Amino acid sequence: MLSRIAYAFRETWASFRRNLTLTAAAVLTSAVSLLLVGVTFLVQRGFDNLLVRWKGDVQLIVFMTPDATPENVAYVDGVIRSQPNVIDVAKLAYLDKPASYAEAQQLFAGDPTMLSLLTPETIPTQFKIVSLTDDSALLRSLADQYRILPKVQGVSLAEDEFEVISTLSGFVRTVTIVMSLVLLAVAVTLIWNTIRTAMFARRREIEVMKLVGATNWFIRIPFMLEGLLHGLIGGVLSCGGLWGLNRAWESGVAGFKPGTGVSSLVVPSGYVSGVMILLLAIGALAGAIGSGIAASRFLDV
Amino acid sequence: MIRLDNVTKVYGADTVAVRDVSFDIAKGDFVFLVGPSGSGKSTLLRLMSRQERPERGDVWISGKNVNEMPDSRVPYLRRSMGNVFQDYKLLSNKTVFENVAFALEVIGKPRHVINQQVPAVLELVGLADKADRFPDQLSGGEQQRVSIARAFVNRPLIMLADEPTGNLDPATGEGIMQLLEAINRSGTTVVMATHDHRIVNLMRKRVIQLDRGVLVRDQERGVYE
Repeated sequence: MLSRIAYAFRETWASFRRNLTLTAAAVLTSAVSLLLVGVTFLVQRGFDNLLVRWKGDVQLIVFMTPDATPENVAYVDGVIRSQPNVIDVAKLAYLDKPASYAEAQQLFAGDPTMLSLLTPETIPTQFKIVSLTDDSALLRSLADQYRILPKVQGVSLAEDEFEVISTLSGFVRTVTIVMSLVLLAVAVTLIWNTIRTAMFARRREIEVMKLVGATNWFIRIPFMLEGLLHGLIGGVLSCGGLWGLNRAWESGVAGFKPGTGVSSLVVPSGYVSGVMILLLAIGALAGAIGSGIAASRFLDV
Repeated sequence: MIRLDNVTKVYGADTVAVRDVSFDIAKGDFVFLVGPSGSGKSTLLRLMSRQERPERGDVWISGKNVNEMPDSRVPYLRRSMGNVFQDYKLLSNKTVFENVAFALEVIGKPRHVINQQVPAVLELVGLADKADRFPDQLSGGEQQRVSIARAFVNRPLIMLADEPTGNLDPATGEGIMQLLEAINRSGTTVVMATHDHRIVNLMRKRVIQLDRGVLVRDQERGVYE
């Protein structure tokens, strides 16, 4: 068993060195495509951060001042619920201080100045309102009504903040997903081609192996391992690239004035690590698929 | 040991390589397959090692029908037979030792077995002192000996040799035949395709003659006609 494993690794390494230029092309293409996949995830997460307060078709948010008493809150709640023909009362949500604070942690992840100003005590609580109408004029008149209620700090309308970002997010999502899928397909094809070339270069050896009774798996495994490594090394490179890009983005965003909303586009580092692991997995999988297909296709019994 | 029942092999639409051939080869036999180029000798060897499958008929090796054998069993069939070719099929980037060891390595034999069996078989073929040479540093006869060592190192039950003396001068060819005869005496069944009259007449073994894919003669202690 040990000798078989040693054999597989030895052959994989030898083949790696033999096809250096093709290997480099396959690895770099994998790296670029995986980097794009990673960027797609981060950009998407950034947009999600921006849009987090509008999740669930929320169209209006009524912010209460931090010093609002339970009676003030109950009063505003009553006013909102008094219009069941316009407001989807079932979906009306009130975010108390801890809930609002938790949401702010995500929203202002990239804006430490803003976060330091907020505490669970000083944060405004909020009503999230889903309306039964899309009539813009009606929604604005509702906002105006709520704004003058006691202890209401302000009212935000989804269409003011949300629409542009949402459209932009959808567009960016489509473009990056399509591009990364195309590039991933190119990477798999390149890995496939590299393995095919490696097998062609060693066709005589493979012929002898088959004649002396090596199993197909024994012949295939070094090639599959090679493809897997192409994908994995591409994955490692893309992780490095993603890390660098994210750092550059973070320091770029730090230069913006607090409160502009751009800081929401910064992604928590735990999420970046998760994406990196995913990139390694996708890279390994793409490599194994590309080389597996090649190794099976060009190996008749 | 080897049995062919009404075997027909057709290449493409209508090129009949072997037509309705039947014969039996007992364990320990030495058999020449003779006939001009294109008569179907190599095809018969390829059918025996399941490199080809017949259109009709059955090929039996050690009691097993190789046509019905699942692909996953074919490597194990091949471990019971050694193959020798006219062009040696040696790996030029490996030494004599490594070429022979390769046959054991790829079927998963441990290193200590390889280190024991390879020198022994190189001794048998008379190349013990050339273990570290590369194939292009050897004569044609020596290369063929390496090829035979590789085929025999796993002590196969059957040895299939396709024109093993085809590229060699008569004296060297005779040396190769002595080696194959020694291997045969150790109990291995040898089937050798050749159109070398001199060798067939010299050895006086069983002769199966083919002509355009048809078996035309099967004779004990025969000669090349």
